[in-house]
Amino acid sequence: MDWWRSFFRQESTHSRLIGVTALAALTLAITFVLPPVANSELAGGAAIAIVILGLSWLIGWSGQISLGNSGFMAVGAYAAGIWAHHHNTTPLVFTLALAIVAGGLSGLIIAIPSTRLRGPYLAGLTLAFAAAVTPIAQNFTSVTGGEGGIFLNSLVTPSWFGHLFSGANAVINANAQWTADLAVVVAAVSFFFMANLFHSRTGRAMRLVRDNDVAAELMGVDLLRTRSSAFMIAAAYAGLGGALYSLLEASVRPETFPLTLSITLLTLMVLGGIGTLSGAVIGGIIYSFSADLVAHVNSLTGVNPTSNLGANMQGIIFGVLLILTMMFAPRGLVSLRTPIQKLFRILRPRRQTPDLGELH
Amino acid sequence: MTLLSVSALALGGITTGLLSSSAGAAGSTPGVSANSITIGATVPLSGIAVSYAPVSAAANAVFKWVNAHGGVNGRKIKYIRLDDCYGLASYGLGCTAGASVTTLSQNQVLVAQDHVFATVGSLGTAAEESVEGYLKQNGVPQLFVNSGSKAWDDPSQYPDLFGYQTSYNAEGKIFAEFIKTHYAGETLGFIGQNDDFGANGLLGLTDGGVNVASANALTYNTADAITGSTSDIQADVATLQASKCQVVVLDSVPPFTTGILEVAHALGYSPTWIISSVGADPTSVNFAGEAGAYTLDYFPSVTDTGDAWIPWTRKVLLADKTDFPTFTSSSIMTGNELYGVGYAVEFVEALKAEGKTVTRAGFVKSLLSATFSGPAITPLKYSASNHQGLQGGVIAKIDANGSKAPVNATPVNGTVFTTGNSKASPLKTTTKLTISPIPSWLK
Amino acid sequence: MSAFLTSSLMHNIFGGLAQGVVYSLVALSLVIVWQSTHVLNFAQGAMAMFATYIGMTEIDRGIGYWWCVIISVAVGMIVGGLTERVLIRPLYGKPEINPIVVMVGFLGVLEALSAAIWTSSTRNIAEPFSQIFYHANGNLVYLSPFIIFQIILAICIMLLVAALFRFTRLGLQLRASALAPEVSRLLGIRVSRMLTIGWMLSAGVGAIAAVIQASGSFGLFPTNMDGIFVAGFIAAAVGGLESPIGAVAGGLLIGLAEQFILAYWSPNVAPLGGIIILVVALMIRPQGLFTKHAGRRV
Repeated sequence: MDWWRSFFRQESTHSRLIGVTALAALTLAITFVLPPVANSELAGGAAIAIVILGLSWLIGWSGQISLGNSGFMAVGAYAAGIWAHHHNTTPLVFTLALAIVAGGLSGLIIAIPSTRLRGPYLAGLTLAFAAAVTPIAQNFTSVTGGEGGIFLNSLVTPSWFGHLFSGANAVINANAQWTADLAVVVAAVSFFFMANLFHSRTGRAMRLVRDNDVAAELMGVDLLRTRSSAFMIAAAYAGLGGALYSLLEASVRPETFPLTLSITLLTLMVLGGIGTLSGAVIGGIIYSFSADLVAHVNSLTGVNPTSNLGANMQGIIFGVLLILTMMFAPRGLVSLRTPIQKLFRILRPRRQTPDLGELH
Repeated sequence: MTLLSVSALALGGITTGLLSSSAGAAGSTPGVSANSITIGATVPLSGIAVSYAPVSAAANAVFKWVNAHGGVNGRKIKYIRLDDCYGLASYGLGCTAGASVTTLSQNQVLVAQDHVFATVGSLGTAAEESVEGYLKQNGVPQLFVNSGSKAWDDPSQYPDLFGYQTSYNAEGKIFAEFIKTHYAGETLGFIGQNDDFGANGLLGLTDGGVNVASANALTYNTADAITGSTSDIQADVATLQASKCQVVVLDSVPPFTTGILEVAHALGYSPTWIISSVGADPTSVNFAGEAGAYTLDYFPSVTDTGDAWIPWTRKVLLADKTDFPTFTSSSIMTGNELYGVGYAVEFVEALKAEGKTVTRAGFVKSLLSATFSGPAITPLKYSASNHQGLQGGVIAKIDANGSKAPVNATPVNGTVFTTGNSKASPLKTTTKLTISPIPSWLK
Repeated sequence: MSAFLTSSLMHNIFGGLAQGVVYSLVALSLVIVWQSTHVLNFAQGAMAMFATYIGMTEIDRGIGYWWCVIISVAVGMIVGGLTERVLIRPLYGKPEINPIVVMVGFLGVLEALSAAIWTSSTRNIAEPFSQIFYHANGNLVYLSPFIIFQIILAICIMLLVAALFRFTRLGLQLRASALAPEVSRLLGIRVSRMLTIGWMLSAGVGAIAAVIQASGSFGLFPTNMDGIFVAGFIAAAVGGLESPIGAVAGGLLIGLAEQFILAYWSPNVAPLGGIIILVVALMIRPQGLFTKHAGRRV
C-alpha cells in the first residue's frame, strides 16, 4: 500500500483534487443505498461539516477562538434566504455565493476589533455576536419574516434525477437523495478549497502567527491582515454552511441558530480533531446521525426517549465527550490510533508544526 | 470526475433496480391498505405549546372510537402523532423531543419512513409553513392544519393544503366589528406573535375598519422566553399602558397570554382584553385575572350539555383510557378537545364518502364538495377557491370562577359572525348557530 | 418629586439598574476566577443556575426562602471548588483554548442535566417580596419591593467581597497568590488552596446572581443564565477582567444601555447595546477600561 500513501502524500493540487473527489464519490455512492430519512440527515451533516471546517481553520490554524459561528451561519442563511425568497429562479451557485460574501463581510466586521484581542476576550466578543444576531434579525419583520422566518422552495429535484427512481416511493426517495447529493457536492468543493488553503503560503503564515506572532512580524507577516483574513474565511464558510442548511430546511428561521448551536459546532470540531479536514468530516458525520446515536444509547440504557432524561441525553453525551476529549485526547478522535485514521491520513496536512524556511 | 461518475452510475444502477423491486406495486396509494389507513401529524406534545396537546389526543380518541366500531369502509385509522415542540425544540423550553428535532425532520419521518396517506391536524403557523414545500414536493396532502393563518387558503399554489379553523384575518375582522359596536372611540392596543399569526390578526383588525396606531401595534418573540435578559412582553405592556390603551387585542399562545395578563396585573393595568381563540382557553391560560376578557368561539360552550356534541365528546374521551387516563365524567373539558373532535370527525366523514377506493387526488377532490357535521357552531365548507375551513364564530366572555382560574367562556349574545379572509369579503351576521346532528353511524 | 419618580427617564434608570446589578454580580464572579486562575469560566452562569435549582427546589419541601438562598450559595461554592480541582487543575499550563473548551462542555452538561432532572419548563419561585410596582399620585413608579431588595442584596454582596479582599488575611493571601504565585509560595501561602477558594468565592457570588434572576419575573429554567452570562461577560470585558470595580461599573453600564435601547428602539435590538459598548471600549483600551496594566500577556 506504500504507493497509495505516497501518491496521496504528494502535496499537489492534483492529488488533493483526487482525494476529495474520491471521498465525495464514495459518499455519493452511499446515498444510493441509504433510506430517505438518513439521506436527509446526511444532507444536514454535510452543510454543518462546512461550518466545522471553517471553525477548524480559525482555531487550529490561526489560533483564534470563535464562539460566534452560529451567528455567521445566520448571516449567510438570511442573505441567501432573503434573496432566494424574492428571486426564486436564481441559480443555486449564485445564491450560495451571496451567502459566502455576506458571511465573509460579517466576519470582517467582527475581525476588526477582534484581531486586537486574545483568548477570552475574543471568545466572549464572538459569543456576544452570536447572541445578538437572531434577535436583531427578528426585529426587522418585514424583511426577515420575524420569528416565523422566510420560507423557500429553491431546491427542486430535476426531472432527469427523478427519472432514476421508480416504484411507489420514487418521488420521496429521489427528493431525499437529491438534497443529500447536492449538499455533498457543495461540501466537497469547500473541502477542496480548504485543502489547498492549508498548503498555501497563507496557511503557512497563519501557523507561524499562531505559534509565534513576534517572529512572524519580524519576518514581514502582516499580523492584522493575516488574523482578520482567517476570521473572514471562517465566517464565509459558516455563511455558506448556514445558507446550504437553510435551503435544505426550505426555510430561514431564528430557532435554527440558537446560541447552543455555536457550542455544538465547537464540540463537533473538537471531537473530530482541530485543524484537520478529516476532523470536519467526522464532525459532520456525528452531527448527521447524532439523533440515531442518542436513540441507540437510550435504547441500550433503557431510558425512555421522551422522558426528560432521554430528551436531554444528547446534551449530556456531547458535553461529557467534549470535556473528556479535551482533557485526554485534545487532538480529537482523529488522533486515536485506528484503522480509520490511516484512511483519513491521506487528507491530512503533512506537517503540524510550522517550518520557518517555507516562508521565503 | 471519472471516479465519481463511475461509482455513482454503477451503484445508481444497482440501487434503482433494488428500489423498484422492493417498493411494492406502483400506483398504490401510500398509507392505504385493504384494512388500514395511516395518517400522521406533527404536534406539540411537550414544550412551550404543550397546552395544545389535548387537541390531537382528542382526535385520536375519535379515531379509536371509530376503529372500535368497525372502522371506515373496513379500514382502521392509524394516527401517528410526532412531537415537534411547536418547531422550537432547539430552544428547550420544556421540550422532550430532543434538541435536534424540527417540524421538517418529523415530517420526513412521517412521509419517508411511515408513508402516511396525509398529515391531518398538524399544529403551528410557522411550523406548518416550514413544511408546505416539502409535503407538496412529495405529493402528501396537508389537511386541516391547526392554525388560523390564511396561508392554508392558497389553492393555486398548494392544491392539497387545507385549513380548519376560522382564520386570524376573519377573527380580526370580527373583533373589529365588536370594538366598533361596543368600544367606539377608545384607544386600541395590540400584541401579536411575531409571525403570520400576529401579522394576519393585525391585518384583520385593519381590514375590519379599526385603527391601531403603529406605536401601539406590538409583537413578542417566543424565543425571548429563553434568554432571560430582555423581555418583550414587559416592554410591550408598559408601552400600551403609557399610551393609555383602553382595549387591547392579543394574538398570543397561552403561555404568553398568561405572561401578558400577569405583567399587566403587576403594573396595575386593566384594559378590556380581547384574546384570539387559540390563546384564550381559560384552562390553558390558568390565571384568575383572565375573567372578563373576550374571545372568539367557534365551538359550543363546554358546559352546554344541550348541544349533543358535548356529551358525545365526553363519551369518546371516557372510552380512551390511553390518552385520557384520568378523564372522568366530571372532568373539565376545554375547547382543545372539541377542536380535535372537529377535524377528526371531518376526516372520518370525508373518508367514509370516498368508499372502498381511496386515492389522494380523489380524497382532496371530494373535500371540495362535501358537507360536514361536527361540533363547530359555524359552517365548515371548502370550495375550489377557498381552502380555509370554518368561516367565523361568536364573541364569548371568559367567566369568573372566584379566585381560581376561569374554566369557561360563554357566548355574549346570539350573534354569529361569518366572513372570509380578504378585505372585500363582507361580514355577515345571523342569530342562528350551526348545530349539526351527530351522524347515526358515529353514535 | 413624584412627577420625577414616575417619569419615563426614571423608569428606565430603575429598570436598567435592577438588571445591571445582576450583570455586575456575574461580571464580579468572572473577575474573581480570572484573577485567581486566568480562566474565563464559560460555565459560570450554568453553575449558578444548577446551584439555584438545588437550593430553590427545597422551597417545595416547606423550607423558608432565606434558607434556600443559603443552600444555593453553599452548593454553588462546593460546585465551584470541585470544578477547579477536577476540571481546571489538570489544564494549568495548557493552551488557553483548552480550559475554554472544557468549560463550554461543562456548560452543556449542566444545562442538559438540569433539564433532565427538573425539566426545561419555567419554574416560578415564590419571591420574598412583592413584584407589584409602587404608585405615586395615581402614576406608576417603576420600582417594586422586589427590585429594591435585589439592588440592596447585590450591593451588600459587592461590599462583602470588597471587604474580604481588602481587610482580611484570607483576602490578602488570595491577592498575593494571584499577583505573584511563586513569591507567595515561598512565603508559605498554600497557593493551590487559594486557587480553589477563589473559584468557590466566585461561584458563591454567581449563585446570588442566579437566585435573584430566578426569583424575578423570568423564573428559573436551565438556560435562564445564558443571556445574563453574555451580558455579564461583556460587562467584565468592558471593565477589564482584572478589575472588580470595573466589572461592577461595566454591569451597570450594560444594564442601563440595554434598558434605554429597549425603551426607545426595540427590545429585540437590546443585545446590540452591549456589543457596541464592548467594541468601542476595546478599541479604546483592549485590556478594558479599568485595567491599570496595559502590558500584554504572552
